[in-house]
Amino acid sequence: MTDATFSGAVPRQSLYAPDEGMRRRNAAEARFRLYGLIAVGIGLVALVLLLSSVLLNGASSFRQASLLLDVPLDAAVLDKAGDRDPEKMKRVTTIGYGKLLDTALKEMIASKGIVIEGLTDKDVSDMISKEAAALVRNRVLAHPDLVGQTVSFKVLANGRIDGYLKGRVSMESAARDSNVSPNQLRLADALREEGVLIKAFNWLFITAPDASELRPEAAGLGVAILGSAYMMIIVLVLSLPIGVAASVYLEEFAPKNRWTDLIEVNISNLAAVPSIVFGILGLAVFINFAGLPQSAPVVGGLVLTLMTLPTIIIATRAALKAVPPSIREAALGVGASKMQSILHHVLPLAMPGILTGAIIGLAQALGETAPLLLIGMVAFVRDYPGAPPEGFFDPASALPVQVYNWTQRADPAFVERASGAIIVLLIFLLIMNAVAIVLRRKFERRW
Amino acid sequence: MSISVLILIVLAIAVAGYVMARRRAMALTGGDRRKLHSLIGYYGQTVFLFASVPALLFLGAWLFVQPIVIESRVSSFITPADIPEGGSLDLVMSDVRRVAGGLDAVAAQDGLSEADLEAMRADFSNVRSRLASVGVALGSDVKPNVFEAAKVYRGALKTSRLAMVIAVIAASLAGLVLSYRRVSPEFRARNVFEGFLVALLIGASLVAVLTTFGIVGSLLFESIHFFQLYPARDFFFSLTWNPQFRGGSDLGIWPLLWGTLYVSFVALIFAVPVGMMIAIYLSEYASKRLRSVAKPAIEILAGIPTIVYGLFALITVGPFLRDYFAQPMGLGSSSSSVMTAGLVMGIMLIPFVSSLSDDIINAVPQSMRDGSFGLGATQSETVRQVILPAALPGIVGAILLAASRAIGETMIVVMGAGAAARLGLNPFEAMTTITVKIVSQLTGDTEFASPETLVAFALGMMLFIFTLGLNVIALVVVRKYREQYE
Amino acid sequence: MDDIRLVEKTVNAAGVKIAARGVQVYYGETHAIKDVDVDIADRTVTAFIGPSGCGKSTFLRCLNRMNDTIPICRVEGKITIDGEDIYDKRVDPVQLRAKVGMVFQKPNPFPKSIYDNVAYGPKIHGLNRNKAELDEIVETSLRKAALWNEAKDRLSEPGTGLSGGQQQRLCIARAIATSPEVLLMDEPCSALDPIATAQVEELIDELRSQFSVVIVTHSMQQAARVSQRTAFFHLGNLVEYGETSQIFTNPSDPRTESYITGRIG
Repeated sequence: MTDATFSGAVPRQSLYAPDEGMRRRNAAEARFRLYGLIAVGIGLVALVLLLSSVLLNGASSFRQASLLLDVPLDAAVLDKAGDRDPEKMKRVTTIGYGKLLDTALKEMIASKGIVIEGLTDKDVSDMISKEAAALVRNRVLAHPDLVGQTVSFKVLANGRIDGYLKGRVSMESAARDSNVSPNQLRLADALREEGVLIKAFNWLFITAPDASELRPEAAGLGVAILGSAYMMIIVLVLSLPIGVAASVYLEEFAPKNRWTDLIEVNISNLAAVPSIVFGILGLAVFINFAGLPQSAPVVGGLVLTLMTLPTIIIATRAALKAVPPSIREAALGVGASKMQSILHHVLPLAMPGILTGAIIGLAQALGETAPLLLIGMVAFVRDYPGAPPEGFFDPASALPVQVYNWTQRADPAFVERASGAIIVLLIFLLIMNAVAIVLRRKFERRW
Repeated sequence: MSISVLILIVLAIAVAGYVMARRRAMALTGGDRRKLHSLIGYYGQTVFLFASVPALLFLGAWLFVQPIVIESRVSSFITPADIPEGGSLDLVMSDVRRVAGGLDAVAAQDGLSEADLEAMRADFSNVRSRLASVGVALGSDVKPNVFEAAKVYRGALKTSRLAMVIAVIAASLAGLVLSYRRVSPEFRARNVFEGFLVALLIGASLVAVLTTFGIVGSLLFESIHFFQLYPARDFFFSLTWNPQFRGGSDLGIWPLLWGTLYVSFVALIFAVPVGMMIAIYLSEYASKRLRSVAKPAIEILAGIPTIVYGLFALITVGPFLRDYFAQPMGLGSSSSSVMTAGLVMGIMLIPFVSSLSDDIINAVPQSMRDGSFGLGATQSETVRQVILPAALPGIVGAILLAASRAIGETMIVVMGAGAAARLGLNPFEAMTTITVKIVSQLTGDTEFASPETLVAFALGMMLFIFTLGLNVIALVVVRKYREQYE
Repeated sequence: MDDIRLVEKTVNAAGVKIAARGVQVYYGETHAIKDVDVDIADRTVTAFIGPSGCGKSTFLRCLNRMNDTIPICRVEGKITIDGEDIYDKRVDPVQLRAKVGMVFQKPNPFPKSIYDNVAYGPKIHGLNRNKAELDEIVETSLRKAALWNEAKDRLSEPGTGLSGGQQQRLCIARAIATSPEVLLMDEPCSALDPIATAQVEELIDELRSQFSVVIVTHSMQQAARVSQRTAFFHLGNLVEYGETSQIFTNPSDPRTESYITGRIG
C-alpha cells in the first residue's frame, strides 16, 4: 500500500491555527470578493453619474429668464383699419411687434432710472428674444380686443441672458462672445434687481415647437411630444392585437412542425436585429416603395410596431405558458371549444402579463432613436401635426430625435435643452414602468 | 372621400350585418334559440367578420399597390429630356406629385373648376407662382411634360380613389350577402367563426416572417443596385472611405469595420468582466439588502434609452477623457473617440451581460457547489474552478450576444465615436463605425440613387449578416448548454 | 457473531473521533435537531438511520459545517473533532472540510476530466509539490475508490461520461484525495442500481481501515451490512445509538423497534 507515504505527506494540523496556505487562500478569497464589490460599485456609480449628468445639465431648462414688460399695444400700429379684424391685422409682421417690445423695454429702463455706461440701443433690443415678438403677435391675433390697451407681457429674454442667469455665460465669456456684451449683462443685473428680469417655470419648453438654431430660448418639445404620442398610439393599436394573435396561434394552435419552428426562430432573431436595420426597412418599404410621407408619425409608428412585436410576442407567450393546463382542461371538459376556452379563460388570466409586456415594449419604442433618423424625423418641424387620423401623416418630430437634433447644434444652450428633453423622456418611461410594476404586483397570481 | 370615412362605412355595413344575421337566425327558429346549432351571437359575429375583414384587407392592398401602378403609368409621360442634369426619374416624379398636390390646393383656394385646371398650361399660366401662393415651392419653372404628367397623375389618382371606394364597399356588401344567405339553424356558425379567427391568428403570426422578408428584400435589392453602380471589389477590399458629392468616391468598408470592431472590443473588455463580477457577487456573496438595492439599480441601466447614453458620452465622458487622459498623455484632442464610445457602450452592456451571466450561473446545479464546498474549496475557488468552467459555453453565448448588440448599436457611436473613417490604433482618436455611416449617408443631402446613398444599404446588409450570424451561433451554444443540465 | 465482536475491539481501540454535545439545529423557525449527543469512533463505519425528514442528513451536514452555506440555518451546541470545537471562531470551515470530506446523495462529478475531478481537492489545498506527486495522489485515490482499473485509460475523459456507480466512486475518490480523517456520506447509494450499490458498499468497508466513515442511509439492510455502529433518528431526536448488531436485534427503544419492523416509515 502507498498508504504510509500518502497520509504521511500531510502533517497533522490543528483546526485552530490556519497554516500558511490557508492564509494565502483566504487572502485570495477576500481579493475576489473585493473585485466583485468593485464591479457592483462601478455599475452603481455609472448609473448615478449617468442620471446626475443628465439632471444637472437639464434641470435648469425647466426655468427660463423672462422680462416683465408693460407693452402699449398701439392701435395705430397694429390695426390701421380699426375694425379689429384678425385677417387684416395679420399684415403687421413680427418686426412691427418687435419695435413695440423694444420701446417698452427702453421706457422700462428709463422709468427705473437704470443707467449703464456705453450701453447701445442694439444692446437693449437684443435683451429680448427674437421669438418674443412672434409670441406676442400670436397672442394679440387670438385676442384682437387687447389692441389699444397697455398689457403686461412676460416676454422671453435672449438665450445668452438666460444663460447668464443660469451661470452658463459670465462676464469673461461675454467679452469674447459676439452675441452678447458685458454691458448687457450689467443691464441684466440691474433689471433683475428691479424685478423686471425674472426666472419662472418654463411652460414653453414643454408646449412650444422647436426653434431655429439662433433662438435656443424659444425651443420647446411640443411637436416632439405630440409626435411621440402619435407613434405610441399607432404602436399600441397595431402591435398589441397582432402580437397577442400571433402568440395565441403559436402557443395554442400551431402544430409542431418545421414551419412553426421557422416562425419561432424568426421571431427570436427579429428581437436581436439592430434597430437601425428596421430604419432601413422603413425607408425602403414604407417610404420609397409604398410612398408614405417622410417624417410622418405613421411611418415611425409602423417601424416601431415591427420592432416591438417580438418583445410583445415573447412576453405574451410567457404569460400564456404560465396559465396552467388544468384551466384549459376544465373549460374543454364542460364542452367549450378550444377557441372558447382560450378566449373566455386563458386570455383573461394571462392579461396582466400581456399588458406588462406591452408596456415594456412600448417604453422601449418610446426611447428608440436610430430608426427614426432614417425615416426623416430629423427634419426641422415647427408646425404641430393635425388631429388624428389625418395628423398621423403630417410631419412631426419625436422626443429622442429632438434630443439628437439639439445636440447637433452649436449653441451650448441646446445642451441644456437636450438634457431637459431627456428628463421629460425619462419621466414618461418612469411612469410607464411604474404602471407595469403596479400591474404585475396587483395581478400577480400563484397557481 | 377620406380613408377613415370609408373604413367607418365598412364597419357600419358589418354592424348592420351582425344585427341582420341575429334577427334572421332568431326568425328562422321561431324564437327558440335552442334549435340553433351555435349560440346566436356567433351568427352575427360570422357575418360581421365576412363583411368587414376581406373588405379592409382589400383596402389595404389597394392603397399599397395604387401608387406603384399610377407612377408607372405617369412616368411614361416623362421623356429623358425632362430629367435635369445629374437628376433622376425619381426626383422628377416627386416634382410631379408635388405639382399635383399643389393643383388641388390651387383649385380649392381660387375656386377653379376641373375645366379651368385642364385648360392651364405650364408655358403661360404662370404655374410656378400660383403654386408658390399655396405653399408649394418649386426649384425651377415647371416643364410642360411634367405639368401634363401632373395633370394625368391627378386624374389617375381621382379615378383610382373612386374605383377603390366602389370596390371596397362592393366587397363588404358581397361578404355580407354571401354569409347572410348561409344563416340557417343548421349553419355551424361557431365553427365557421372560429375557423375564420384561426386564419386571422395565422395571418398575425406571419407578420414576423413578412418583416424578415421585408428586411432581407430591401437590403438585398438596394445592395444589388449599389453594386451595379460601384464595384463590389472596391467595397470589400479598399482601405479608404472617402465619399464625394460629385462622384469618384472611395467606399471601402474596412475603415468602418475596423472602427466598429474596435469600439465593440473596448466595450466588451469593459462590460464582460464587470458584468460577470456583478452577477457573481450578487448571486454568491451579496447580503440580501445590497442585492435588493443593486439588482434593480443595474436593471434600470438596461431600461435607459441609448440616446441618453449618447448624450452622456457627448457632454460628460468625452470631455472628461479628453481633458484628463488624451491631452495630458498627448494622444489627441478629440472628445469623441473610440474610448468614449467604447466606455459608454460598455456601461450600456453591463446589465445585459450581468443578467445573462446571472441566468447562466444559476443554471449550474447546486450539487456542483456542494461537491466543491464538501471538498473544502473556498467560495471563490468554487466560482472560478467549478462554476465558471461549467458555465463556460453559456458565458461564451452571452458574450456573443453582447457583441452583436455592440456592433449594431447606433446612437452611442453616432454621438461618441466621431465621423472620421480611419484605420488606426490610438483609442483616443475619433473613428467611425458602420452604423454611424448608415445614418450619415441616409440623412445627408445626396440624391437617393447615387452610390454614396446606396452604400448605406450594403453596409446595412453587412451589419445584418454579422449580427444575425453572432445571434445564431450564440443561440445554438446557449441551447446546447441548457440541454447539458436538463 | 465473531465478526461483530471483532469490530467491537476496533472501536474500543480507536477511541472517539467526533463528539457532539447538546446539538440543536434550527431552520428559521423550525427546530430540526433537538439536543443530540453522540460520540463517533475513529476507523469505524457509523450509520445514521431514520425515516425521511428525521434530521439525519441535517446532523451529518453539521459535522463539516456544510450547513453554513444555508443562510437560514442556525447550529447550537458543541461538536469537537479530536477535541477541537469545530464551531469555534478560530476555525475556518474551509480547512475543516478538507479534514472532513463529504460524498453526496447524487453523484456530482464536476464537468471536467476524471483526472481533474480527483486532482481538484489536492490542487486547491496545495497538497502536492509537483505534477508527479499529483499524479500519484490521483492514482492512489482512484485505487482506493476501486475505480483505477476502469478509469486509468480514460483519465482525460469527462467525469460526467461515467456510469452512475462509477461517478459515485469517482466522487469518493475525489473526497479521499484531500486525505481527510473523516468521510461523511449522505445516502451515497440512493441513486444507484443494486450492482453499483454493492460495489460502493464493499468500498466503504475497505475505507474503514483508514477513515472514520459516517453514512446516512434509509436502507436498514445497508446500515446492517456496512456499519459497526448505528444511530436512529426520529423527528429530530437521537432515539438510540449503539452497536449495529444490538440496534437491529435487540433495540431498547420501542420507536426503534417499530421502525426496524417497518411500522414507522
